[in-house]
Amino acid sequence: MQQTSEPRHGLRARTFSCMGTVISLTMPAGPHKAPHAADDELEAATAVVERLFARLDGTFSLYRPDSEASRLGRGELGLQEASDEMRARYTEASEWRLLTEGAFTAERPDGILDLSGLIKGHAMKEAGISLHALGLEDWCLNAGGDVLVSGSPDPGSGEAWRAGIVDPADRRTLLAGFPLGGLPGGLASGLAADGGAPGNTASRSRMALATSGSAERGDHIWAAGGRAAEFWQVSVAAADAVTADVLATAIVAGGTAMLNRAAELWDVEVLAVRRDGDLLATAGFRR
Amino acid sequence: MRIRAAVSAALASAGILLVGWQSGVHVADTRSAVAAASTGNETAGTSAGTGSSDTSGPASSGTSGSSGAAGSSGSAGSSGAAGSSAAAGSAAKAGGTYDGDIVQTRFGTVQVQVTVKAGAITDVTALKLTDAEGRSMQISNYAAPILRSEVLQAQSAEVQTVGGATVTSNAYLTSLQAALDAANL
Repeated sequence: MQQTSEPRHGLRARTFSCMGTVISLTMPAGPHKAPHAADDELEAATAVVERLFARLDGTFSLYRPDSEASRLGRGELGLQEASDEMRARYTEASEWRLLTEGAFTAERPDGILDLSGLIKGHAMKEAGISLHALGLEDWCLNAGGDVLVSGSPDPGSGEAWRAGIVDPADRRTLLAGFPLGGLPGGLASGLAADGGAPGNTASRSRMALATSGSAERGDHIWAAGGRAAEFWQVSVAAADAVTADVLATAIVAGGTAMLNRAAELWDVEVLAVRRDGDLLATAGFRR
Repeated sequence: MRIRAAVSAALASAGILLVGWQSGVHVADTRSAVAAASTGNETAGTSAGTGSSDTSGPASSGTSGSSGAAGSSGSAGSSGAAGSSAAAGSAAKAGGTYDGDIVQTRFGTVQVQVTVKAGAITDVTALKLTDAEGRSMQISNYAAPILRSEVLQAQSAEVQTVGGATVTSNAYLTSLQAALDAANL
């Protein structure tokens, strides 16, 4: 986190709105490309990601009366008749429900199937696959505060992307930082340079950072048993976007017990902010 | 007496820890588990290899605390904890850091390190632990209370992206991420 100089070739970003939030794609301009070529590449990549998000939102959004999810919710459609994609995500959500002992669930208190807790992470994962298929190795995708990266902000340097985590008490300031992506030997891997802490050597495999809160969107996460959420905000760094997103949601819902379970069973780092502002962190979030 | 009591308490907790680890150790590995806390990095030059037969170690150096450790090993049905208590007992007199043997348990591979300062065990850590797939892991990756000054720091001028609980499209307009995106447009 000491590295303050910007990448030599600069970053470019494009944004679009989907799933009720704003998604941005950031890419380094690159040393071998003319500025216009880099812009065209970013525009094309953003268009691919936007189409993918829009398609998933069209299927899974409960805010769209005509979506497949809304028709399921109204009982006009049964799961047996649902699309392969709907059933695949339902299966995935059910597996996460078992793995998190119910802390993550796709069923709203009113019984309506709501896969939105899974869909953003899934969309990010799919977007990452598409960007790699386009031959793009260095990028940072931010979907409303959840982050998935590939490569480095300074291509070839191995330097990690530096992500900040907002302070829930003051969203204009950062509570913490975390390196994502990068390569062994990169500048930011100095965090693990001592080689002593096993938790830090894995930081290069952290490609995704997801944060869930209990104060956003009118407490959209329900704590297990209907009680008030124990945590104000929970951030999870993991190798993939779905694991990070699901576990962050599960820990907000399941409290300390779920936090301990997540830290023990998954290869993740967790930073949790309690209701009173106190922090809980796994070793990877320690400086 | 106070020092003795502290040593005894430390030995008792070490014994309990080792019994806990040993519950996962195969019978054939019991002796190496015994040696885990004692052999290896013998910086203090004690006869750490005295092994499981030296049950007089805790009996002589300890008071009720260490016999408690011996007792807990007895209930576990293995001589291991008593032996390691003996070894730790001799270590306690010398001070230093002791690396144990690498032991196979049902949780994976474990190597224990014991730190002794001023006659008391100040730390017992697992140096090495791998799961069934051979992947290195920490013995317990858990979240501990942490001060804000102890967390990885970041200034908004130094980051390329900002994570936070999902912001609505309206909230995005005033967010740090929006400022970063705008700067890179």
